[in-house]
Amino acid sequence: MQQEAFANTEDFGGPDIVAAPGRRAHPGQDAPYSQYELARAYDEMFAPDGAVRPPYAVLDSRLSTLPLEELSRRQQACEQSFLHQGITFTVYNDNRATERIIPTDLLPRIITHAEWARLEAGLTQRIVALNMFLRDIYSDGRVLKDGVVPRAMIFGSKHYRREMRGLPVPHGAYVNICGSDLIRDESGEFVVLEDNLRVPSGVSYMLANRDVARRAFPAVFRSMNVRPIEQYPLELLATLRSLAPFHEDVSIAILTPGVFNSAYFEHAFLARQMGVELVEGRDLLINDNVVYTRTTSGLKRIDVIYRRIDDDFVDPLIFREDSSLGVPGLFNAYRAGNVMIANALGTGVADDKAVYAYVPRLIRYYLSEEPILNNVETFLCREEKSLSHVLANLDKLVVKAVGESGGYGMLVGPHASQAEREEFGAKIKADPDNYIAQPTIQLSTAPTFVGNGIEARHVDLRPFILHGAETKIVPGALTRVALKRGSLVVNSSQGGGSKDTWVLS
Amino acid sequence: MLSRVADSLYWMARYIERAEHTARLLAVKLESMVEQTPDDASASWARVVEALTGDDRAVTHQDAFVITRRLAFDRDNEAALVNSLAMARDNARQVREALSNEVWENLNRLYLRLSPVTMDSIWVHSPARLFREALEEMHALEGVTYSTLSHGEGWYFLELGRHIERVQLIGRLLDAHFRAAGDAVRGPKYFDWLVLLKFCTAWEPYTKQYTASIRPQKIAEFLLFDAEFPHSICFSVDRMTEALARVAPGAPPARRAAVERLAGRLKAAVDFGQVDDLMSGGIASFIADITKQCEQIHKTLYSSYITYGAETVL
Repeated sequence: MQQEAFANTEDFGGPDIVAAPGRRAHPGQDAPYSQYELARAYDEMFAPDGAVRPPYAVLDSRLSTLPLEELSRRQQACEQSFLHQGITFTVYNDNRATERIIPTDLLPRIITHAEWARLEAGLTQRIVALNMFLRDIYSDGRVLKDGVVPRAMIFGSKHYRREMRGLPVPHGAYVNICGSDLIRDESGEFVVLEDNLRVPSGVSYMLANRDVARRAFPAVFRSMNVRPIEQYPLELLATLRSLAPFHEDVSIAILTPGVFNSAYFEHAFLARQMGVELVEGRDLLINDNVVYTRTTSGLKRIDVIYRRIDDDFVDPLIFREDSSLGVPGLFNAYRAGNVMIANALGTGVADDKAVYAYVPRLIRYYLSEEPILNNVETFLCREEKSLSHVLANLDKLVVKAVGESGGYGMLVGPHASQAEREEFGAKIKADPDNYIAQPTIQLSTAPTFVGNGIEARHVDLRPFILHGAETKIVPGALTRVALKRGSLVVNSSQGGGSKDTWVLS
Repeated sequence: MLSRVADSLYWMARYIERAEHTARLLAVKLESMVEQTPDDASASWARVVEALTGDDRAVTHQDAFVITRRLAFDRDNEAALVNSLAMARDNARQVREALSNEVWENLNRLYLRLSPVTMDSIWVHSPARLFREALEEMHALEGVTYSTLSHGEGWYFLELGRHIERVQLIGRLLDAHFRAAGDAVRGPKYFDWLVLLKFCTAWEPYTKQYTASIRPQKIAEFLLFDAEFPHSICFSVDRMTEALARVAPGAPPARRAAVERLAGRLKAAVDFGQVDDLMSGGIASFIADITKQCEQIHKTLYSSYITYGAETVL
């Protein structure tokens, strides 16, 4: 049905779309960009003087000939497609559950070959160093003895799992699936904002977005040599298989919290795409430290579990005893080496905000290389020089408590009152170890269809890194979009959407 | 196949069958009520309500709006069409990975289409039309299930759910009609017997077999014992027996035997049943017996393949 909605001879049968090189689109004046604002942030499509950046030239020539009503129709077809596939999350209101789609924008975000090559090298370097770090702190702790990272910061972290000490993991790979968040700063350089090393999600949206964007702009897609991403499930399967190399016939399962989890669509999607079992805690049972699923024909052994539940909930015998999502005895089966779990437990210690600041040093320490991708500049209040800088510049900085997430325990300096800043300053002085500070960050902007035109909206970038016997990064990413004008918040819970990311070959 | 997945597929199919049955009864009833006297229409509505909800209180045909709303859209009525669809979809959502994209999307679209519908929006013009359209989509869903899903264990759990539900639904419908058959005032008239056939999509197949002469005994024979008609009890029992032989292929022989023994007994009861023996009031007890046997099969199916304790196999 969607195919039909897009039926358009120009898009399917016509000649390749040709770019008008060096065209100036006059963002802010000409349709469809009459409301497009170029501000302080780096814009993905337009240079500061309004010239269309070369990678966007083909898309621009298509957009300049496409009536807005047609764009609108294609946008609706995208949304319909998401709704019918059940790519939704549930909102509860008056005991009545309503389902909403996670907004998707049909305009692709484009990344050049050279940009991607640098991202790929940088992310590979980073995941290797982070895994070496995890292996180190769960064995000898060389990095701690050498004073590179403060001991108290690691052993004091609530995500450090003492149960993991001395436990070998296949290939020394603790983090097998990683979804790092990057942004492009004002100079156009990609920097890492956060490493998500626990249970990152969003990869199904990367694939779903590709599906709709390719259908919305078939000719543009064809003429631009976009690199494919459809092999992701296969690469994930290979990564999971590489964790149990001694079995001929590896039995793999995805462990989901269940249908009420907001990422359930993704769990089911990946299980289907990989052809593996999707299980809930209640489907699994442990006997003699071996993990089984209950099937109609009897019990069946499981070798590798890709778990989509947090450490805390994996095994009520070892971690949170009130958890009904996990499986009693799973950790002992894991310790006995009878089942592999991806990601390993205890990876969260390496992605908290304080360790984040040390990642460039970790790369130098373990690999003797300079980091290819930079962090957002981060001041650790535990270091005296930084502390005085932070206290003197509270009006320019964002200060975050290390252990908190989701915007709690945070001061946004430029938006706070003098009294608030003084109060927060006192908190920092009382417990400097617990705080980091960063300059206010301008995310780059990308063209986004907003119903009556194309406007600039802030975006980030979440590529997905696989790391088992080897490191694999599928050339694509989830680009999250802050759909409200001027907003920097890309989270789907707060009005964020997403769009396809085209990596050019 | 995971026991939980088998459980969800089985219930998904039961709820879809229930939704389809409800939609068909409403469509046929709303289309035919204009041709009946008020008294006959009231008696006929009462049988529909009884067959669908078990509620045997008298109703009047003026209640058609209220009854339709209750049977189709009332979220507080467990048996309502929208609730059956919602339950089918909830079960399907939990086993997305065991279904084809086409199956899920058809079911999801149908649910999204019906769930916001209000009575006011359909009643004024052609209330039956919505239910006819829903039936068409359910037939499409059935076709897509047949043609896009592997006919493996999961498919047989769907078959099992569909037919165990169908036996009971058809059973209740026959019961509601034949129990009142002797009642000259409120009992079914010629037209009601014809409508009964239409409730089961049986009108044309019946006339091919018995000509257009409508006789309750022949209707009972057709809907109970015809081996080829998909909405006869005999047909569904055959499909159940076949499906039971195909699910849980690796289960221990003792468990399989427990299920297959019950299925064999049910099949024998239907294969050797004689309509002549039943006409003197025996239909109700025959249907009660069949229903009870279905319940036993359901229980044994669960204890053998789905909810068995780990201690029994380790």
